[in-house]
Amino acid sequence: MNAILAVLKKELLDGLRDRRSVMSAFIFPMIGPLFISFMFNTITERQRESQDIDIPLIGGEYAPGFVDWIERRGFTPIDGPEDPQAAVRDGTYDFVLVIPADFAEDMDEARTAEIELVRDGTKKDAGAAVGKAHDLINSYGRTIGNLRLIARGISPQLSQPVKVETVDVASERQRAAHFMVFIPMYVILAAFMTGMNIAVDATAGERERSSLEPLLVNPVSRQALVLGKWLGAVVFSFAGIALTLGGLVFAMSRVSWQELGIQLQMGVPEVIGVLVATLPLAFFASGLQVLVASFARSFKEAQSYISLLILLPMIPSIIAQLYSLGNKWWMAPIPALGQQVLLTEVLSGESVSLLSFLASGASSLLLGLLCVWITAKLFQRERIVFGR
Amino acid sequence: MIRVENLQKRFGEVVAVDGVSFDVPDGQVTGLLGPNGAGKTTTLRMLYGLMRADGGHMEVEGIDVDSNPQGAQSHMGILPDSRGLYPRLTAREHLRYFGQLQGVDKSVLETRIDDLIEQLEMHGIADRRSEGFSQGERVKVALGRALVHNPANVLLDEPTNGLDVMGTRAMRSIIRRMREEGKCVLFSSHIMQEVSALCDRIVIISSGHIVAQGTPAELLIQSGHDTLEDAFVTLTGLDEVR
Repeated sequence: MNAILAVLKKELLDGLRDRRSVMSAFIFPMIGPLFISFMFNTITERQRESQDIDIPLIGGEYAPGFVDWIERRGFTPIDGPEDPQAAVRDGTYDFVLVIPADFAEDMDEARTAEIELVRDGTKKDAGAAVGKAHDLINSYGRTIGNLRLIARGISPQLSQPVKVETVDVASERQRAAHFMVFIPMYVILAAFMTGMNIAVDATAGERERSSLEPLLVNPVSRQALVLGKWLGAVVFSFAGIALTLGGLVFAMSRVSWQELGIQLQMGVPEVIGVLVATLPLAFFASGLQVLVASFARSFKEAQSYISLLILLPMIPSIIAQLYSLGNKWWMAPIPALGQQVLLTEVLSGESVSLLSFLASGASSLLLGLLCVWITAKLFQRERIVFGR
Repeated sequence: MIRVENLQKRFGEVVAVDGVSFDVPDGQVTGLLGPNGAGKTTTLRMLYGLMRADGGHMEVEGIDVDSNPQGAQSHMGILPDSRGLYPRLTAREHLRYFGQLQGVDKSVLETRIDDLIEQLEMHGIADRRSEGFSQGERVKVALGRALVHNPANVLLDEPTNGLDVMGTRAMRSIIRRMREEGKCVLFSSHIMQEVSALCDRIVIISSGHIVAQGTPAELLIQSGHDTLEDAFVTLTGLDEVR
């Protein structure tokens, strides 16, 4: 027991001084939240931009009624540039409205008056603003047309035989669930990524530095040694998972979901649920990494094995995105898959049975211990110890 | 006190150690001398419990190595062939880690570490990380962590390998001091001068066999030569090859 603690303490001290271990444990949890912040803030920003746009206008004085109408709709008419075509081409403006001098005259005599909309069709991100301007002109025209009909005693409905009514069937919940697929995958990946370096350093690293032989001549059982090393990686993985989750919660709290029309449940019960579901995965992830890395003679060799291993926990997430996985009884005890199912349920606000938590947690712990036991057996082999 | 009887080890078809027997008494320095590939390191690895012998019997302080390797290990201070350090730990932390693994009591561990830093003249490096240590400094740390539990028996595999003149002299005086303390010291070497400068008893091993053992004087008589070097060449059969 004392030996296990001594090994654990040494591995943690060693790991905390290792830039590579610390980077992987602390950088990875930052990337996802940063990505979320960036992505959603850009989306919100765009939406906001398209909502209150300035309307660059040339010849506003010829159509005071139109300018007035724009203002009443909550938009701001501004003076347009000298050369509207050049200004739009070089991107100073998304579009410019040009009102010709004979606009008022055409209006008065009830002819079709023209408003020129100068735009650049190759600029995709200008589409929303241009669409808004388009709508604005159309609805102004429709209103004037209706007034003219009414003045002549004709019902405006006659000129509008068909009307489009758009119904968006994607519910807010569904849109949220779509986004939520990303979170379980990221948290599961964190369990594998953040303890990885210390798991490799404590096994393949010992072989590479030829410090394994001096270590093994101490009167400590192989089981105790491997347990200590494994726990070192588990502690890093725990910290990594917690940091990742903390980062995600922080980043998500700064996105204005309502503005995006997404309703997201990430309260205290959800966070606790995610933690309880994911932490045991660290036992398995670290165990598997300790075992696999023990076959490698060098850090690099171990990393190439383990980077293949990283694909493993991603498979359930990818399948989950393509098909709806559902929840079958046999899924819970399979590491990564069990957590994926569990996390999806927790985050979608469904009630999750205690048994599912227990089954996936206990299974990860037991499989992790099995890996430790096999690694301890490996460390008895002369071929591993002396690297032949 | 170390006792080795009829030790056997083979790797596949190759017989590495065949019928090796010798005793290492307390208060003496015994040299395991032999050319490269003679079976010195293999013999030591079996003795400190990392390799299983195919046959024979080994005892350390009366403890059977085969049935109780950990019991035997706690009575041995071992400087193995590979002596890698942890680059991010200081010399002191190396000693502390191994002391904890050896189960040294907390109350005496720190004093013991200070004593060893004193004895091995490690003041300059005690609290520096081992990254960038010279070969001599590395060997000192490796030796320090091997001796942290104050073992009665000391096994050193080619302790002067890679050391310069000053390092070699320091190592010799350390070994002599251990003899004065009454320890049982066994070290292996392929260098005649090394062994003759230090040893009370010499065990000459060649191709996995013991070819001669005894005090330096006894070996001279056995071989019929005037110098130990000639005796070594004759006894190991190296002259027949040339």
